[in-house]
Amino acid sequence: MPSMKTCVAVALLGCITGAVVLAQTETPRLTLVESALESKVAASTTERLSAAACELPDEQKSIRLAVIGDSGTGGIEQYQVGQQMESCRAKSGFDFVLMMGDNIYGGKSPQDFERKFEAPYKSLLDAGVKFYASIGNHDDTNERLYKPFNMGGQRYYSFKKGNATFFALDSNYMDLAQLDWLERELSSTNTPWKICFMHHPLYSDGRYHGPDIDLRAHLEPLFEKYGVNVVFSGHDHVYERLKPEHGINYFVLGNSGELRFRNLKASAEMAAGFDTDRSFMVVEIAGDKLYFQAVSRTGQVVDSGALDRPQNR
Amino acid sequence: MHLSLMMSRLKSIYGSAFFVALATMCLAFGQQPPPTAKSPGVNADSVIIGDFDKQVKEYLKLHKKAEAGVPPMKPTDSPEAITERRHMLASRIQTARQQAKQGDLFSPQVSQLYKRLIGMAYQASGPAKVGASLRHDEPVRDVKLQVNAVYPERTPLQTTPPSILTNLPPLPPELDYRIVGHDLVLRDTGANIIVDFIPAAIPPS
Repeated sequence: MPSMKTCVAVALLGCITGAVVLAQTETPRLTLVESALESKVAASTTERLSAAACELPDEQKSIRLAVIGDSGTGGIEQYQVGQQMESCRAKSGFDFVLMMGDNIYGGKSPQDFERKFEAPYKSLLDAGVKFYASIGNHDDTNERLYKPFNMGGQRYYSFKKGNATFFALDSNYMDLAQLDWLERELSSTNTPWKICFMHHPLYSDGRYHGPDIDLRAHLEPLFEKYGVNVVFSGHDHVYERLKPEHGINYFVLGNSGELRFRNLKASAEMAAGFDTDRSFMVVEIAGDKLYFQAVSRTGQVVDSGALDRPQNR
Repeated sequence: MHLSLMMSRLKSIYGSAFFVALATMCLAFGQQPPPTAKSPGVNADSVIIGDFDKQVKEYLKLHKKAEAGVPPMKPTDSPEAITERRHMLASRIQTARQQAKQGDLFSPQVSQLYKRLIGMAYQASGPAKVGASLRHDEPVRDVKLQVNAVYPERTPLQTTPPSILTNLPPLPPELDYRIVGHDLVLRDTGANIIVDFIPAAIPPS
């Protein structure tokens, strides 16, 4: 077991050299079995766009999805990410997308919905890909009524796909009613995979926002108690994969439209990060394995790997 | 969730200071307080919260009356329909509350109690934790608060830390608590209207 000083040194070295900093799990309930071979803190900012190199195992009876966060700028980069997602969909066949919030920045007119959501993802929407949104601090809570966000009129909700249940949380307003709902839902869910997504990260090495430790104090005990495997969030405009915390794998993905250039400050908790361009994720869940790739706006795979779901969860 | 389970979870987060506030709320909302919670101020506090609850119910009557004249709130493909509904509801509420002023729901007594409850939430969960949560979010400062005005559409809604939320009397879904600078805002969620606010409710961090 390396000392904290060693971990920090390794993490910093990893950041400087662009090397992967692998997770040091004490009691891994999810183990990183296929290390993030291509993971790196990439520095490429070239404008050369190539077709997304995303490749998932494409196993039978698996579920495939994409993840975006802090996307709704209406800027050219959001459209380019949308193009890469479409290219990736053609290869991997994902059929739904999780949205980490800040889905519509600024104005909320019908033109804004068109420019910041419907147009950038038109080819995906036309292909029948479903988007499941969570609410960010820049969103109007009435976005829950917008059918293409599939929120069913609720601030927080859950849905099941194959052997996974997804829980969309409203991290802007974590009141007792929502905590109560979450506990009931988690305790009555029997799917092997339990995946939560929300706007605010419980762990993050983003300099601008960082982790919401008050939210963490309220949510993490529930995640642990009821065996949540993976948590996706946004808010910090970077991509980051954290080392497992209490057996839970945390991802921050808040750079699908917005970007805070070189905003990551690598800590001992960081497993991989990307903060020099926009990105999105593709995920495949097949049996007890979850495969993931983070793909940049220019089509580079900036992180990838697979997680094992422990049998006792 | 059973009350005892809820308290057990919250006690693990807050420690015992939480229970003084919880006792206050339980009394106001007709539940039995935990047997360990005794405070000379509880009865007075429950009366204050009971008064606030009455004001909230009165506001809800007005909200529902205004809502009767607008299209039903249900999922739609049309962002225009969502925006129109919000504007119509806001306009009807604003007309019905032309005389509304700061302090109508948050009376001086309620404001004082809320400041105390928020202070307790800070202390119980650790001032650094709640303060950091506020700072790490996107603090909203440049909003001139005015009762019955629309909360500015382009201004983000600051996250309300759970430690504060879970220490304040719960609200119906038509209303929420929001933080602007150091002020606590009571907002109509459907109409996006500022119903009332408490200046300087949030301690400086």
